[in-house]
Amino acid sequence: MEAVQQIRNFILENFMIGRPAEELGDDDSLLDKGIIDSTGVLELVSFIESNFGFTVEDNELVPENLDSVNRIAGYIGRKKNS
Amino acid sequence: MLIHHYLEENAARFPYKDAAIHLGGRINYLGLEAAANRLANQLLKLNLHPGDRVGILIESSINYIIAYFAILKAGGIVVGLNSQGTARDFRNILSDCSVTGLIIGKNAVPVIKEVYHDIPSLRFVVAEDRAEHLPKDIRALSLVDIQLSGDPARPQTSRQETDPAQIIYTSGTTGKPKGVTLSHRNLHANTSSIIRYLDLNAEDRVMAILPFYYSYGNSLLLTHMAVGGSLVIDGRFAYPNVILEIMAQERVTGFSGVPSTFAILMHKSNIRNYRFEHLRYITQAGGPMTPALTQKIMEALPHIKIYIMYGQTEASARLSYLEPEKLLEKIGSIGKAIPGVELTIKDEDGRICPPGKVGEIVAKGDNIMMGYWNNPEDTARVLKPDGLHTGDLAKADEEGYLYIVSRSSEMIKSGAHRISPKEIEEVIAEFAGVIESAVVGVPDEILGEAIVAYIVAKGEIDQKELRKHLRANLAPFKIPREIYQVDALPKTESGKTKKYELVEKYKTKARA
Repeated sequence: MEAVQQIRNFILENFMIGRPAEELGDDDSLLDKGIIDSTGVLELVSFIESNFGFTVEDNELVPENLDSVNRIAGYIGRKKNS
Repeated sequence: MLIHHYLEENAARFPYKDAAIHLGGRINYLGLEAAANRLANQLLKLNLHPGDRVGILIESSINYIIAYFAILKAGGIVVGLNSQGTARDFRNILSDCSVTGLIIGKNAVPVIKEVYHDIPSLRFVVAEDRAEHLPKDIRALSLVDIQLSGDPARPQTSRQETDPAQIIYTSGTTGKPKGVTLSHRNLHANTSSIIRYLDLNAEDRVMAILPFYYSYGNSLLLTHMAVGGSLVIDGRFAYPNVILEIMAQERVTGFSGVPSTFAILMHKSNIRNYRFEHLRYITQAGGPMTPALTQKIMEALPHIKIYIMYGQTEASARLSYLEPEKLLEKIGSIGKAIPGVELTIKDEDGRICPPGKVGEIVAKGDNIMMGYWNNPEDTARVLKPDGLHTGDLAKADEEGYLYIVSRSSEMIKSGAHRISPKEIEEVIAEFAGVIESAVVGVPDEILGEAIVAYIVAKGEIDQKELRKHLRANLAPFKIPREIYQVDALPKTESGKTKKYELVEKYKTKARA
């Protein structure tokens, strides 16, 4: 499964149960839409670490890397290529 | 003193000073006063009566503050709501206080569409942006339109100090939310006391990451509006480095958090790269913080005063604090009563306990709530002639410093939230096949406590389906982190579940 789909599934199954998949646009801000909070971000980090095989460093915990499906996918891509 | 007079007085004293800053937007005291007046005048046009309840369902922001003061100016009672609540939560709370109107943000539109039919008292909704997303059969207005064309003159309403100003809902031990009803006098007494011991003044700028609907966040709002200080609001603590950057940019003088805030800052942020030259103090409340974490904060921020505080929503927020100078000497203590509050430790017969003996903390002061809204039974259980019975067990040392020993209620404190196990158990019980369950809080380095559920059921429970059911009926922060199916729950002779045994079992397993 490609990264975008895996990330979408994780968010839909963990933070958006009972809400239609169409509500989650790949560029939507997870914070502004009230989908994720501080503990949610920590869950997201452990999902990324265990599924994509790298450690999310403290200074990488920023919205530019994690605040939408596409941003997360881009961040994972950059990390895997580094 | 009425709470909205804070804003009115500071609009005269410091008209052009920043009152609040949020995501690049700023509003000064004069602008905030005019904006609150415009909304208040509109609420009066909508025929809001003195004492009517108006809910705010907007994330902490400038608009939240406008809504808060507008409701008070119009003579109403503020009901701040947790934006993470579910339809079930809103049905319970909005019916309990028979809310007249709601002021809502865009994220709240879907849930309000789902519940508004079930709240017969609800007459109008003010939407933060556009009103056309709301159903046609409800009176809907737009805050943007009100701000464009409303009347900025201060409305004339008459309220007394003893009238209720605000209801803050907390999870009750029974699972049913309880509306802590606070008068203008209650809130003013607590606000004045906090200002005194934190030595707050008009130069103070606090980093407000805690939600305003929560009593700790509410006290940040009120103390800074009272002194003419500035609130730097940012709900993006999910990204702690963003908050640290804002703290430096906005030169904040104060920062307030719960234990999990500090755990995240110490373990998941770049805090050690900052010096924060303007930061004067930090405050911590909302559950016990481990001495190890306190020590880490002292090392990371050696020049900052650290105030450890204790309180309850029922006390408008605050009951005790530990002076920063005593932090090392009295580590683990919640300090002594704040100015204007009397705290005593009493045994089951109501006698004052000598130093070293464990008893219940009983509190007296003008900050103690009027009671729980519409709930005389629960009110009578905690408000007694000698004061507020907190349910927290503590002992005092020879110098009168208090140490919490345990909370006699079973409430779980996870992150910034106070969670009723009963409420979660009730939702679990609705799932097919469940016989009984016990929900407990287990130690967690980041959250303080994490939620764990033990379930007894007929046959094998489908965990995925159960989680779906929980997600649909509980706010995200109430979802158990771990769920275990067991053959039986440990019981006392009288049949009560021995929850402490489950916690011990969990801890033993975690150590293994």
